[in-house]
Amino acid sequence: MFLRACSTFVALALSFAAASAWAAAAPDFTLNDSAGKPVRLSDFRGKYVVLEWTNPECPFVRKHYTSGNMQELQKEWGARDVVWLAVNSTNQSRSEYKTPQQMGEWMRAKGAAPEATLVDATSATGRAYGAKTTPQMFVIGPDGGMLYNGAIDDRRSSNPADAKVANNYVRAALTEALAGKPVSVAGTTPYGCSVKY
Amino acid sequence: MATALSLGPAQAAPVKTEHVQAELVPERTALVPGRPITLALRLKMAEGWHTYWRNPGDSGLPTTITWKLPDGMGVGAIQWPAPHALPTGPLVNYGYENEVLLLTGLTVPPDAVVGSTLKLAARADWLVCKDVCIPEGADLDVTLPVAERSDPYPQWGSAIAAARLAIPTPLQGWQVAARGDGARVALTLTPPEGVADPGVMQFFPNDEGRIEPSGKQLQKRDGTGTYVLTLPAATQLAPDFKRVAGVVTASKGFTEQGEQVAAMTVDVPLVGLVTAGAKTSLTPAPGADLSPQAGADAVSQVSFAAAILLAFLGGLILNLMPCVFPVLSLKALHLAEGHEDARVQRLQGIAFAAGVIATFLALAGLLLILRATGEQLGWGFQLQSPPMVVGLAVLFFALGLNLSGVFEFTSLVPSAAAGWTAKNPYVDSLLSGVLAVVIASPCTAPFMGAALGFALSQSAIVALSVFVALGLGMALPYALLAWFPAWRRVLPRPGAWMERLKQLLAFPLYATVAWLIWVLGAQMDNDAVVRLLVTLVIVAFGLWSWRLYRGGTGRSWAAASAVALVCAGVVVWPLVHGNDSEAPGPVASVPTGPWQSFTATTVSDLRNAGHPVFVDFTAAWCVTCQVNKRMVLNSPQIRDAFASHGVELVRADWTRRDPVITRALAALGRQGVPVYVLYRPGREPLMLPEILKKRTVLDALATLGPVQTVTLN
Repeated sequence: MFLRACSTFVALALSFAAASAWAAAAPDFTLNDSAGKPVRLSDFRGKYVVLEWTNPECPFVRKHYTSGNMQELQKEWGARDVVWLAVNSTNQSRSEYKTPQQMGEWMRAKGAAPEATLVDATSATGRAYGAKTTPQMFVIGPDGGMLYNGAIDDRRSSNPADAKVANNYVRAALTEALAGKPVSVAGTTPYGCSVKY
Repeated sequence: MATALSLGPAQAAPVKTEHVQAELVPERTALVPGRPITLALRLKMAEGWHTYWRNPGDSGLPTTITWKLPDGMGVGAIQWPAPHALPTGPLVNYGYENEVLLLTGLTVPPDAVVGSTLKLAARADWLVCKDVCIPEGADLDVTLPVAERSDPYPQWGSAIAAARLAIPTPLQGWQVAARGDGARVALTLTPPEGVADPGVMQFFPNDEGRIEPSGKQLQKRDGTGTYVLTLPAATQLAPDFKRVAGVVTASKGFTEQGEQVAAMTVDVPLVGLVTAGAKTSLTPAPGADLSPQAGADAVSQVSFAAAILLAFLGGLILNLMPCVFPVLSLKALHLAEGHEDARVQRLQGIAFAAGVIATFLALAGLLLILRATGEQLGWGFQLQSPPMVVGLAVLFFALGLNLSGVFEFTSLVPSAAAGWTAKNPYVDSLLSGVLAVVIASPCTAPFMGAALGFALSQSAIVALSVFVALGLGMALPYALLAWFPAWRRVLPRPGAWMERLKQLLAFPLYATVAWLIWVLGAQMDNDAVVRLLVTLVIVAFGLWSWRLYRGGTGRSWAAASAVALVCAGVVVWPLVHGNDSEAPGPVASVPTGPWQSFTATTVSDLRNAGHPVFVDFTAAWCVTCQVNKRMVLNSPQIRDAFASHGVELVRADWTRRDPVITRALAALGRQGVPVYVLYRPGREPLMLPEILKKRTVLDALATLGPVQTVTLN
C-alpha cells in the first residue's frame, strides 16, 4: 500500500513536470532538408523560428505561393534574422508525397526563400506538433517557447486574391514579438487541406 | 389552372466538374407571389469524395452559395443537413459524401407578375476532397414561371421536402445545458419522459475553435436519465466561445412526435470556465477508439508507475500459481543439483528470463495488433477461444503425465533434437521461458485480467512496458537462483524425495485440467466436454505406448502410439476447427435465477424504467469472478439485500468473445473481468472493487437509501 502510494506520487510529480515543460516548449526535431542535410530545431535557439507546414499539392498552399504571399513573408522576415523552416509532413505512403529533390525543385521554381525545406516522410514531426492543415503556421521564440500556432491569415479560402487583403496572423505575431511585446493572437484555428498522415 | 402549369420551369442542365455534378433544383414548379420557395444546391460527389459542412472540422472549407436574384426576392441562409464525421488519418472532418442537398429558402415578392418568368442564379463554390483537395465551383441557374399556384416539382419536390424535414431542429421536451469544466465541456441532454434510447450521440459544433473535432466524445447516462456528453475543448479556443451551438446526431435516431429524426440542434449558453484543450500530438493510440461511449468518471485511474509495480509483483506471484509452480519449482531444483558450472547456469537464467519476457511481449503485441485491426478483444482473449482451451488442457495433461512418470520428455523428442538441446543449454532455457508463459497464461487471465486489461487500454508503449514488468517479475526468482549459486543453499538438498515431490506436483496440473474442462463446458456443451475427455484418455495411452517403444519393447508400440495420437486428433478436431466461439453457448448465456442476461439495451432499459441495476461482468475462466459469485453474490444475505432494495440484476458473461460486452467494459474504462457496477437512479454509477466482500456490497446498496417495502403478491 505504502509502495503504491509512493510510486503514484512519484509518477504524478514526474508527469506534472513533463507536462508543464511541454506545454510551453515547441517539440525539438531533426529533419533532413531538400539537400539531405539534417536540420535540428534546437540549433536555432536564440532566434525566432517560423514553421510553415506545406504541401505543394494543396490548393490552399498554392494560394499563398501563386499570389507570392508566402515568398514575400519568407523574405521579409528572413531579412530580420527570423529562421523560416518549411515542413512537408505528407507521409511517404501517400500519393502526394514529394521526395526531398522534388520539394527543393518546387520551392526553387516558386522563388521561395525559406532557411530550409524539410521533409518529414514519417509524419512524426507533424504529429508531434499536432499540425492539422496545410498551411499551418507556428512561431517559436528564442527560448523555444511557442508564440503562435494556427492559420496563416483570417481569409479562409483557396482564392489567391484573398492572400493580399487578409489580416496575416504570422506577420502580426512576429511584429509584436520582435518589438518585445506579447503576441496578442497566439492561437487560431488553422484552415486548409488536411495534413496527409 | 392547367394552362398556368404548362409553363414548365426551365432548369439548366447540371454542371459537371471533375469530381462533382452540381445543379440548382426547385421544390415547386412555379413561384407564387408573396410565398416562400425552397431551392436546393444539389452536389453529387464522385465516389470517395466529400464536401464540407458549415464547420469543416480539422481541415477543409464549407460550401458557399452567392445568389444573383431578381429584385425584391428575399433569401435565407443555407439550411445544412446533419453532417457526418469523416476521419482522415488522425484528423476528423465534418461533411457529406455521395450526395447532398443544401437548401435555401427564398421569398417571392408580392408584386411578381403572374405569367412572367424569373431566372434564379447562384454561384456555388466548394472544396471537394478525397486524398487531395480540389476547389471547384459553378454558375448555376433555374428559370421558373410566376403563377397563382404551384405543384411539387416532379423530379425534386419530394426529395427536397424530405431533406427539409431532415434538417436538424430543436426537439420538443429536451432540456439541454452546457458547462465548461477545464479543458472539457459537459453537454447535458435530458430527454422528455418515455423517450426511446437514442444510442450513441455525437455533437458537431456549428463553429470552429470550440470543440476539438478529432477529440473523443464520451457519453454516459446518469441515474435520472440525463445524457452527459463530455466534449474535449478545442486546442485553439475561439475568444467568443460563449454558447454551445451545434448539431447532435444519434445512432438510433431521436423520436419526435412519433417520427424518427436523425439529429437535433442545440444552442445553449456556456456556463463555467473552459480552457483550451491540451495540444494533441496526433499519435494514434491502438484500441483507443474501441467505443465512443465511455464513462469518463468511471475510468479507473492507475498511474503508469503503479501499473508497472503491480505488474512486477503480479509476475512474482505467478511463480506460485498452480499452473506454473510445479514446472518452475522443478526447474529450480534441477539447478540445485548443480550439473552445470556457474557461468553456464547464469547464462541459462538470463536466457530463461529473455524467453519469458519475449513471450509476454509477443502475446501482448499480438493482442494490440488484433485490436488495431478492429477485433473486440480484451485480456483473457486467449481463454475465450475453445480451441485454445482445448490446447491448454491437452498441454497441461501431458505435463501432468510427465510429472507422474508416465513418460519422459527426453524420450519424447527425437534423439537428434535431444542432443541438440543438450549442446545448446541456452536454447533449452529460452524455450523453458516460452513454455513457462504459455502454461502461465490460463493463470494470468483469471487472476490478473483486469489489471492487464487496463494496461492494454493505454498506449502501446505503456501496455508493452507493463507486460515487460510482468515478465521480469515472473522470471526474477529463477534468474536470481541461477545467478547466485549461494542462494541455492536455501533450497532443500536434492535426494530421493524429489521424485515423490515431482509426482505430487502433477496434481495441481490435473486440477488445472479439470478447471479448463469446466471452462470448455461453459463455452460449448456437454458433447465438447466428452470429446475433450476422450481425447485426454487417448493422449495418455499414446504417450504411455510411446514410452514402451522408446524403452525398446517393440515397434508395434510405436504404431499403437501413432494410431492413438491420430485418434486423439480426430476426436478433438471438431472442437479445434469448429465455430470460433461466436455462436451463443448454451450454458454461458442462460441467465440463472434473478439474473437477466446482458444485451446492448438491457441496462439502459432497466435504468430508464427507474430501477437501480447491478451488473456482474464475469467469465467462467475468471477465478476471481467465480469466487465472488459463490461467496458473495449468491449468498442468501446478499440476494435478500438486492431484493429488498429492488435492484435489477444483470449478468454479462464474457466467457466467450462478445463484442457487445467488450464495448460495455471499455465504456467503463476496463478491458477485463471482473467488473461490478451499481447503477443508482439519479446518481453516478458506483464501481465496486474486483474482490468483493459482503460488507462492500451491502454498503453500496445502503447508498440507495432506505429499504423499500416489498409487496409480495
